[in-house]
Amino acid sequence: MEEASQACVIERRPAAGGKPSVTYRYAGDRYLLAEYGEMNFDLTLNFIVQAVDGALQRTPFEGLIEAAPGFRSILVSYEPRSCRLAGLIEHLDRIYDGIPDEKSLVIPSRRIYLPIAFDDSQTREAVTRYAQLIRADAPNVEGGTNVDYTVRYNGFSDREELYAAVLGAELWTAFIGFFPGLPFMFPLDPLRFIFVPKYNPTRTWTPEGAVGIGGPCYSIYPVESPGGYQLIGRTLPIYDLRQRNSAFKSDPILVRPADRIVFHRVSEQELLDGFADVHADRYQYRIEDAPFDVSAYLAYLERIRPEAEAWRHAREEAAQRTPVA
Amino acid sequence: MSSPHDRSLEILEAGIHSTVQDFPGRRGYQARGFFPAGPMDAFALRAANLLVANDEGAAGIEITLGKFAVRFTCETTAALTGAAVDATLNGEPLSLWGTVHVAAGDELRIGMAKGPGFRVYLAVAGGIDVPLVLGSRATYTMGALGGLDGRLLKKGDHLSLLPSTTAPRRYRFEADAVPHYSREWEIEVMRGPQADPDFLTPEDLSTFFASPWSVGHNSNRVGVRLGTTHFTWARKTGGVAGGHPSNILDNGYPLGGINLNGDTPVILGPDGPTAGGFVVIATVVGGALWKLGQLRPGSDAIRFKEVDYAAAASLTRDLEARLSGEHLVEI
Repeated sequence: MEEASQACVIERRPAAGGKPSVTYRYAGDRYLLAEYGEMNFDLTLNFIVQAVDGALQRTPFEGLIEAAPGFRSILVSYEPRSCRLAGLIEHLDRIYDGIPDEKSLVIPSRRIYLPIAFDDSQTREAVTRYAQLIRADAPNVEGGTNVDYTVRYNGFSDREELYAAVLGAELWTAFIGFFPGLPFMFPLDPLRFIFVPKYNPTRTWTPEGAVGIGGPCYSIYPVESPGGYQLIGRTLPIYDLRQRNSAFKSDPILVRPADRIVFHRVSEQELLDGFADVHADRYQYRIEDAPFDVSAYLAYLERIRPEAEAWRHAREEAAQRTPVA
Repeated sequence: MSSPHDRSLEILEAGIHSTVQDFPGRRGYQARGFFPAGPMDAFALRAANLLVANDEGAAGIEITLGKFAVRFTCETTAALTGAAVDATLNGEPLSLWGTVHVAAGDELRIGMAKGPGFRVYLAVAGGIDVPLVLGSRATYTMGALGGLDGRLLKKGDHLSLLPSTTAPRRYRFEADAVPHYSREWEIEVMRGPQADPDFLTPEDLSTFFASPWSVGHNSNRVGVRLGTTHFTWARKTGGVAGGHPSNILDNGYPLGGINLNGDTPVILGPDGPTAGGFVVIATVVGGALWKLGQLRPGSDAIRFKEVDYAAAASLTRDLEARLSGEHLVEI
């Protein structure tokens, strides 16, 4: 089986010309996994993924069925009978060569403004059910909420500090997946970065619209479902197959990769009224085109580096003092 | 209820898990979080469609284990394929892998599939008429969409049929063209995307290919759960992605990917998650995917056979040749 060793890597392309390396991997005979850069938690790799994915969508290729972005990779599905693998890799290489290096990337993106009701009764209900049915002694369910645990784990002095971090963050949608319409989102601003362990074991019920954080990642639950993220509040529907609101007319899924989500605070009653308004098509989602300038972002990161490091240290020290969920 | 022009099926007995499915399912939406759904044994549904002169993408019924009965409200043709099962039309024995003429009022019944095999497929001329949802009629029960109201079929359901234009001729598959069913399966896979040497050791992969694996009790359309294992791993931890070496930064999953969630391998089925943060150490090749639909939870065993790209292509060619129509005999 000598020839089979390293058999899952088809080709590695070293980093060159300011661009990260690319690794093409077999994922069976009908999928190809293209990975960009090394395994680092670096949003820049996702910006590259978005740029490649965008170009891939604009450039039809015989036999290419679909492409699904991940954090730093794209899973390409193809029909092997009409598409030569070597030809597909050449196509991906040409696309990668054609995108500018990260410092001059501008990524088509939208800003979506959504209301959030913090620590609302539905997310508290999910936490209470979990404590009653699954694990009462979990450190993250004290007081029937995950909010206080999230505050403590990140070293915030009170809930308002946590809420300020959430409200001030612009959340970058790295990809959609796991379940229909579920966005994986990361704060662009390292000063708003939050980390919190996931549930152990997972929760069996989460309300529609719940906003959760797991590890460094934010998400919104598109439908009632199981889940493992710490819940901090609830927002409006982001998925509606029945297309009751105009926002879902062309597409039942609101959030797309490369969208940025910005939350503003509302009361629980306002949120519940919002649900009714969404379903009656009286609510208009506020969505604006806002191309994302990577060079301006990288310059910002450079400017705030010392501050970001200090925040990371403070956060990690607080985490050391807090039991893992 | 039924008018003279009504073309439909009435479900008399629904079995434990029967759904409307079409091939290849809901393609083109993985980036939005949809795995394809569709038949877990696509070969069997495509074969059933071929027998009733349907387009291979026509919707049929996937029946898990059996215990299923329908009444036809119209004259038409139908075909059963998949796991061997006692089947009758108005009480008369009926063979699988062949076309059958039915008259209005006829009742088709199947008993329990005793194995080998686990799923039976029913195609009817024209195909099942349920609304297209994101381009497909396939049922995805977890997302409550597709098929009949996004749910399992139940007793009393009426399923409309699309018009059928082809003259109803009858065929059967040559015995050699029907795939071999077993209780000890050999499933062809390709290594990766995340195997050795970066994630697992070459010895881990040797163990993986040498070991027999049991098909877990709680296997279903989401995934086939295998027994637990203890790999050595090439890394101590998942680094930035998490504590366990099976953790990676989230990426898209392939259908048929063998996903290592901690120490439990799961073969991702058509209703599986589209993405996640665990390694996929090997992937079932296209020509072997049909086998996942016929594995019996709690009793069957699997061995994985590593094949290369060329062997995978030849497996697909062989399977497609069986569906070309050349192996049908008119009866």
